[in-house]
Amino acid sequence: MDKPSKLLIIDDNREILSIFKDFFIKKRYEVFSASDGLEGLKLLETEEQGFDLVITDLVMPNISGVALISIIKKRFPDTPVIAITGWGEHPEALATEAQADQVLEKPFELSELDRLIKDLLSQKKN
Amino acid sequence: MPPPLIGTSKSIERIRELIEHVADTGLNVIITGESGVGKEVVAQNLFHESQRKNKPFIKVNCAALPDGLLESELFGFERGAFTGADRKKRGKFELAHEGVIFLDEIGDMSLSLQSKLLHVLQGGEFAPLGSEKEVRTDAWVIAATNQELEQKVKKGLFREDLYYRLNTIKIYIPPLRNRPEDIPLLIDYFIEKYSSQFDKNRIPKPDPDDMEKLMTYSWPGNVRELQNVLKTSMVIGDWEEIIHDLYLKNQSATPRRTEELALKGASIVDVLLDFKGDYSSDQASFSLKKITKKATDRIEKEVISFVLDKTGWNRTKASKILKISYKTLLYKISGLDIKSQHKL
Repeated sequence: MDKPSKLLIIDDNREILSIFKDFFIKKRYEVFSASDGLEGLKLLETEEQGFDLVITDLVMPNISGVALISIIKKRFPDTPVIAITGWGEHPEALATEAQADQVLEKPFELSELDRLIKDLLSQKKN
Repeated sequence: MPPPLIGTSKSIERIRELIEHVADTGLNVIITGESGVGKEVVAQNLFHESQRKNKPFIKVNCAALPDGLLESELFGFERGAFTGADRKKRGKFELAHEGVIFLDEIGDMSLSLQSKLLHVLQGGEFAPLGSEKEVRTDAWVIAATNQELEQKVKKGLFREDLYYRLNTIKIYIPPLRNRPEDIPLLIDYFIEKYSSQFDKNRIPKPDPDDMEKLMTYSWPGNVRELQNVLKTSMVIGDWEEIIHDLYLKNQSATPRRTEELALKGASIVDVLLDFKGDYSSDQASFSLKKITKKATDRIEKEVISFVLDKTGWNRTKASKILKISYKTLLYKISGLDIKSQHKL
């Protein structure tokens, strides 16, 4: 059996974070989570094997999702990032500018997010 | 070396950690917090931790200059751009190339300048006044404000797109009253600093009683106020007198105190019943029950606000201190319309 893909999910809303976590654990991913940008960045810096994919909220205290995407694309350019937004077009435009691989606007179905993850992971493999 | 960031409170530790992790990213930063909390100190620490530390650190106070002057300060002008422009002047953005431009009091910037700033942030280019050529700059933008920019965005006074662009990294410095554990360290630091400057006027460290009073004082002017008090202390040399002056000054300056005095004085009925002075036509408002309820509400609001403020709006802690249930506290907060003045 293949090794499960390793996801890092960052969202300052703990409720959303736990829903995501439960869902993707059931989908047999290895899930790491962080409740703000700084915690997320620390995980990215310390996790030796790195992550297969990162999902991040955009509007968060301290380090925003936009900042995280810029940092990831500079330091870990092969790691795909999905940005999640519910706050109108500005952060969304900034996420695209920071080269997020996908920007998903709330509300969305978790199965839709799962499909995006699968697409990005298979693109990465190829 | 930049002035050190002093404190052992969780929030200061967190800020140190943030500085360490983001100083090399060159991403826009906004530093927020009340006046005097040390926003410039954080900016200088960011600069010093970054690879830009040997390049210029240019500070611009956006509230200190009228619009036109600020524009020419930031972007510069060509010779003949306007009457009196008898020579070319380089703007701060150009001078800060490869270094940092620290835009203090960004909340005071006019909407027209905000759009010019946005243009620079989007493309890294700007045109000096009177020039058709765009100049490229690689200035790291660190902005600071003591205003609630979210509120200004809602009121249409601050551009939403600029707000999000600046908010890439946000560092909030809480007021000193919410981190009293930092006060003894700051006092030690300033005593040490000023003792060498005023070597004839040394002041001993405050004794535990005085320190307790200094830690419970609200420090409305934050670290800057504490710094000024320490400077004065070098001349006065007596903690008891300094603390007495401090509390006296703060009481007369606090509106809450004025309300208290009004409640104690002859106008208590006016205050509680909102009389406009004509008692005869307002007899319907006289009701002991009503007055008691209103007075209790006011006292409850004052006390709950005070405890919430002291606990940094930790409602669980506050309900324990007040010896009421958590649910009752939440009910009181909404019923008495208690709002946090310093929301994180």
